[in-house]
Amino acid sequence: MTLYLPIAEMSVSVIAFLALGATVGFLSGLFGVGGGFLLAPLLTFLGIPPGVAVATSTSHVAASSVSGAMSQYRRGNVDIKLASVMLAGGVAGSYVGVAFVKMLTVRGLFELTVSLTYVIFLGVVGTIILIEGINSSRKTRTAGSASVRKPGQHGWMEHLPFKMRFPRSKLYISAVPPVVIGTFVGFISAIMGIGGGFVMIPAMIYLLRVPTVLVIGTSLFQIVFVSATATVLHAVENQTVDIVLATILIVGGVFGAQFGTMAGEKIRGEHLRVLLGALILLVAARMAVDLAIKPGDLFSLASTPGAF
Amino acid sequence: MRPFLSAMIVLMFAMTGGALADRPKENVEADASTRQVAITSSFTGTEILVFGTVENSVQPSPEAGTYDIIVVVEGQPVPAVVRQKSRVAGIWINTSSMHFAVVPSYYAIASTRPIDEIADKAFLDAHQIGFDHIRMVPSGASDADAAATETFRQALIRLKEQQRVYVKRDFGVTFIGRSLFRSTIALPPNVPVGPLTARVYLLKEGKLLGQYESRVGLRREGIERFIHNFAISQPLAYGLTTVLLAVAAGLAAAFAFRKPA
Repeated sequence: MTLYLPIAEMSVSVIAFLALGATVGFLSGLFGVGGGFLLAPLLTFLGIPPGVAVATSTSHVAASSVSGAMSQYRRGNVDIKLASVMLAGGVAGSYVGVAFVKMLTVRGLFELTVSLTYVIFLGVVGTIILIEGINSSRKTRTAGSASVRKPGQHGWMEHLPFKMRFPRSKLYISAVPPVVIGTFVGFISAIMGIGGGFVMIPAMIYLLRVPTVLVIGTSLFQIVFVSATATVLHAVENQTVDIVLATILIVGGVFGAQFGTMAGEKIRGEHLRVLLGALILLVAARMAVDLAIKPGDLFSLASTPGAF
Repeated sequence: MRPFLSAMIVLMFAMTGGALADRPKENVEADASTRQVAITSSFTGTEILVFGTVENSVQPSPEAGTYDIIVVVEGQPVPAVVRQKSRVAGIWINTSSMHFAVVPSYYAIASTRPIDEIADKAFLDAHQIGFDHIRMVPSGASDADAAATETFRQALIRLKEQQRVYVKRDFGVTFIGRSLFRSTIALPPNVPVGPLTARVYLLKEGKLLGQYESRVGLRREGIERFIHNFAISQPLAYGLTTVLLAVAAGLAAAFAFRKPA
C-alpha cells in the first residue's frame, strides 16, 4: 500500500514507514531517548528530502517524549520551574535554529551542516556514553555504583548573576546556565531534528547538579515543548512538515516505544548504555563515511523554489 | 492561343504551389487522453496518451515513414539550482553552483525516430525540441564561461533524467494507420504539480507541416489538495495541528499501554 505525501511530494510505502517508525520507537523506548538522531538520517536515507526529514522528525520526537514526560510528571519527577527557565532559552534557540536552516538551505549547505553536526555531536556523546557504560558495568562487578553528585559545589557558576531558587531540585543557582543550556539544545534540536536529551541530561547532571531522580523527567518535559515549538516553526518558516508522513511514523513509533520500554526493563542499565553508545557511534560513523567518500555524482539538483 | 494556354498552366502551378497542385495541404490534429490528471493520496504516477491524425495523409501504410511526429509534454517553467561538490579538507562540500532562471519542471519527448534525424538544429532550437535544445539561461552571475554553463546544464539534464522527470523516447510515437498516430507519456509519482503543455509537430523531410498544442491539468485533488493548501496558506495552524496530533497519539498510546496499578 502506497500513499502520496503532500509536502515531500512523493509516493511512499506505508508499511515501510510504519516499520521504520516502530523500529525507532522501539529503540527510543528501550534506551529512554527521543530517537530523533536515528529517525532523521534514516528518513533521508529512504529518499525523503533532508529538510522534510528533519522537520517531520521533530514532530515524532514530541509524540515519543510526551508519554514519558507525562508519567514522570505524575510521579513528581519534574522540576517545573527549572524546566520553564530552560524552555525560555529553548524556544529562542529553536527559533534561531529554524532561521539558520532556512539560511543554509538557500546556500546549499544544509545537508553538509546536518551531517557535520551529527558526526560531531553523536561522535562525542556516543563515546562518552560508551566509556561511561563500560566503566560502570566494570564497577558494579567489583563495588557499588559511585555517585557523581557532589551537592552544593558549582565552582565557577557561583559567581554568575540572576540567582534563582529551584526548591524542587534544592538548588540556588544563577538562571544563566539553564537558559544557555536550553538555548543550545533548542538550536541543535531544530537543526538536527532531535529532542536533544543526550546533550541536556549530561548538562543537567554535571553542570547544574540537578538530583538524578529529576533529570529524566525535567529533560523530557522540556523536550516535549522544544520539539513542539520546532515543529511549528519549521511549518511556518520552511513549510517542510509533512503531516501524513508524521502520522505514519508516529503510529508506528508509539507502539514500538511501548514494547521497547518493556524490553528495556529486562536489560541492565549499564548494558543498555553500552548498546546505546555503540548505536550512536554507528550513526556518526556512517555519516562521517558519507562525507569522506567521493559521491557517485558530484552534482546535485535543487529545483524546488525557496526550499532546497 | 498556344502561348496563352501555356502561360495559364504555368500560372496555375505557381498559384497552387507546384506539382501537387490539386492535393490539399497536410496538417495535424491531436489531443491528450486526459485533460485533467488528479494527484490524490493514492497517486503512484500515471500515463497519458497523446494521439492525433495527419489530415490529408498521403502515407501509403503506417510503416512507410512519410511523416515524422514529435510529441513534447512540458511542465511549468521553474527556477533551478545545480550544485557541484568538491573536496575540501577531506570532506565533500558543495563549492560551486549555477542558478537557472527557468527550466521546465517536467519534459517528456517522444518521436517517430531520433529528433536529430528528423530536423536540423535551427528548427529544434527554435521550438525547444529535445533536452539539448531547451533554452536554459544562467541567472545571476553572467560571467560564467560557456564551458562551465554547459557542464552544469548537462548535469541538470542528467539529474532530471535520473528523477524520471525528463524523459526521452526516440521511437515513442507510432503510426497505427495511414494517418492515425499515438504515443504514451509516463508521468512518474514525483511529477511536479502544475499544468502541462502538450505540443505535437508534424514534419516531412525536415519541413514543418503543422503543429498542435493542448493543455493537460495536473493538480492535487481531495485530501492532498486540502492538506497542501492548509500547509501553505495557514502554516501556523497546520504546525499546531501536527503537534496536537503527535501529542494526542503519544498520550493515547501511554494510556492504552499503561500498567494496571
